[in-house]
Amino acid sequence: MTLEWVHPGLLLILGGCLLPLLKGRVKRAAMLILPAAALIDCLLMKPGTHGVTSFLGQDLVFGRVDRLSLVFSYVFSLMALVGMIFALHVKDDSQHVAALTYMGSALGVTFAGDFLSLYVFWELMAISSALLVLLRREPSAVAAGFRYLLVHIFGGLLLLAGIVLHWSHTRSLGFGDMGASSGGVAWAMILAAFLLNAAVPPLGAWLPDAYPEATVTGAVFMTAFTTKSAVYVLIRGYAGTEFLVWLGAAMAVYGVVYAVLENDARRLLAYHIISQVGYMVCGVGIGTALATNGATAHAFAHILYKALLFMGAGAVLQTTGLRKLSEMGGLYKTMPVTLCLYMIGAFAISAVPLFSGFVTKSMVVSAAGEAHRPLIFLMLTLASAGTFLHTGLKLPYYMFFGKDSGRRAQEPPRNMLVAMGLAAAACVLIGVFPGLLYQYLPNRVEFVPYTLRHVTSTMGMLGFTALGFFLLLKHLDPQPTISLDTDWFYRRGSAGLVTLVRGPLARLEFDYVGQIYEFVIRRPVLGVANLLRKLDSLVVDAAIVGMGRSTQSLGHALRTVVSGNAQHYGLMMAAGILALLALAVFVQ
Amino acid sequence: MNFLARHLEDPVRFARIKRWSYTGLAAVALAEIVLPRIFPGGEFHFPFEDFPAWGSLYGLVSCVAIIVVSKLIGKLWLTRREDYYDS
Repeated sequence: MTLEWVHPGLLLILGGCLLPLLKGRVKRAAMLILPAAALIDCLLMKPGTHGVTSFLGQDLVFGRVDRLSLVFSYVFSLMALVGMIFALHVKDDSQHVAALTYMGSALGVTFAGDFLSLYVFWELMAISSALLVLLRREPSAVAAGFRYLLVHIFGGLLLLAGIVLHWSHTRSLGFGDMGASSGGVAWAMILAAFLLNAAVPPLGAWLPDAYPEATVTGAVFMTAFTTKSAVYVLIRGYAGTEFLVWLGAAMAVYGVVYAVLENDARRLLAYHIISQVGYMVCGVGIGTALATNGATAHAFAHILYKALLFMGAGAVLQTTGLRKLSEMGGLYKTMPVTLCLYMIGAFAISAVPLFSGFVTKSMVVSAAGEAHRPLIFLMLTLASAGTFLHTGLKLPYYMFFGKDSGRRAQEPPRNMLVAMGLAAAACVLIGVFPGLLYQYLPNRVEFVPYTLRHVTSTMGMLGFTALGFFLLLKHLDPQPTISLDTDWFYRRGSAGLVTLVRGPLARLEFDYVGQIYEFVIRRPVLGVANLLRKLDSLVVDAAIVGMGRSTQSLGHALRTVVSGNAQHYGLMMAAGILALLALAVFVQ
Repeated sequence: MNFLARHLEDPVRFARIKRWSYTGLAAVALAEIVLPRIFPGGEFHFPFEDFPAWGSLYGLVSCVAIIVVSKLIGKLWLTRREDYYDS
């Protein structure tokens, strides 16, 4: 690492470690200065390759700086700043350290030019984000945090196995376009690991399981980094992979379907992360310049508006202690500022003209159109209507309006409102001046979002979605239920497996396998062993005892010869010589 | 009492908001039909996008389809009691 280049992720991680040593205003100032410094660092960064280190004969590249990594680093560090403002009132140092490490690792992934450093930051991101769930310190959060950690460790192992295989084939750890090894096992394993982090079904159930259980501020951080860093690596390595087009479009609709059934406010928003990341995955799959621009731009806008939405729902959770829509209602009377700021985020995610989603989401939808894919185009547009239906209508209706719950909660602390205000301002700014974002996109932008046809068609779609919502309102009342997702397999399915093992399998083992073992293995083996033991005692032992005894008898016999008398010895020597002479004569 | 409360809790004002909303919807649908024909241009990729009030129609159909299909899937398959994983 050179002095000319400082890794912004390192700033956040090391700075975060020092944070618990500070106190009071200095600490709060540091909480703002660290992400601000990272943001400035990213803004000042020049394209090129920096921070190259040799490790075990391999070049590790910590600073691959190009247009793609830069635009992601801008939004990551901007989000770090907004998120830390939102979390400024939190007294728990461990949450701040975890959040800063998490954000620093996401920046590490963004700038990683090789698989090894990517893997290290990938795992660091998983562990630090799991802490943001665990640190809510409630039994349900601890359980969800461990599930989250286990799923991500599985994903990390997939990535590591893929990297090792990739290295064994190519002898290179460089991370770039994976098209050359398309279809191979290493290609598939690395892709699966990336898709797991992007929360692509059926690998994505960890997201709606964990995010609603995280701390109020932790969930805001989590919405931004894990899935979007996965989108970044997908753009980098897997642009133009055909099946991602279908996976992404299906994902966009999947999130919307689950959101209809959802009663937990933050879980509903979590399903909409899946839906929105679907647009990005679809854009990666289409792979054209417009599509990858769309995926990048939508990731940028999504980080800001989704954080804003989670901040709104988090503010309600913090001030009322409520998380279920069926228990909320009537909060507009005492939380109008939160409502207004939330609605800006809702308009942004719903792609209302003049808000950020309109100028970013439509890039992906338009790319599907340009690629002549009518079904994908229709699926994405349908999901867009669904997004407005839930995030723009259902959630605010039941949270802030609807049946008055009688709660008179106050607005959240000022720092939370300031953070929401900043995110809201960014949503409007991008929507009104799309050029501000377009100039940073990886490819040249020729897309014009504000055409008469696009604006009127979008307004018509949103307006009549609202009409449909109010017509079917009584069918949408949130029910106190949960919905099964693929996490069933490791939450309930694994319990079933344990029951199977303890019950029928254990009986089978005891009653049949055990009995068969007894008659086929144990008894014959014991019989043979017994036989061998007898053989040992009767033959081997007897032989050895016999040898000992005969040696002893011989010793006794010889003892009589050893008299100590020189005359006897001389006599025996003479007898011996005579015997030898007789033998010699006899032989001749 | 804030601005929103004043308008939502007064039946007369609320009825007026409702009327304006329906008028707005009609205006949007009309604009979608008429404006592209008066001012042609603005790209579209598929013939169905040129259908009169395509956005409005597709919005309404999508909304109803999402609600009906999701509720159906939920009822037949996916929804469980809240303590499902605890029991």
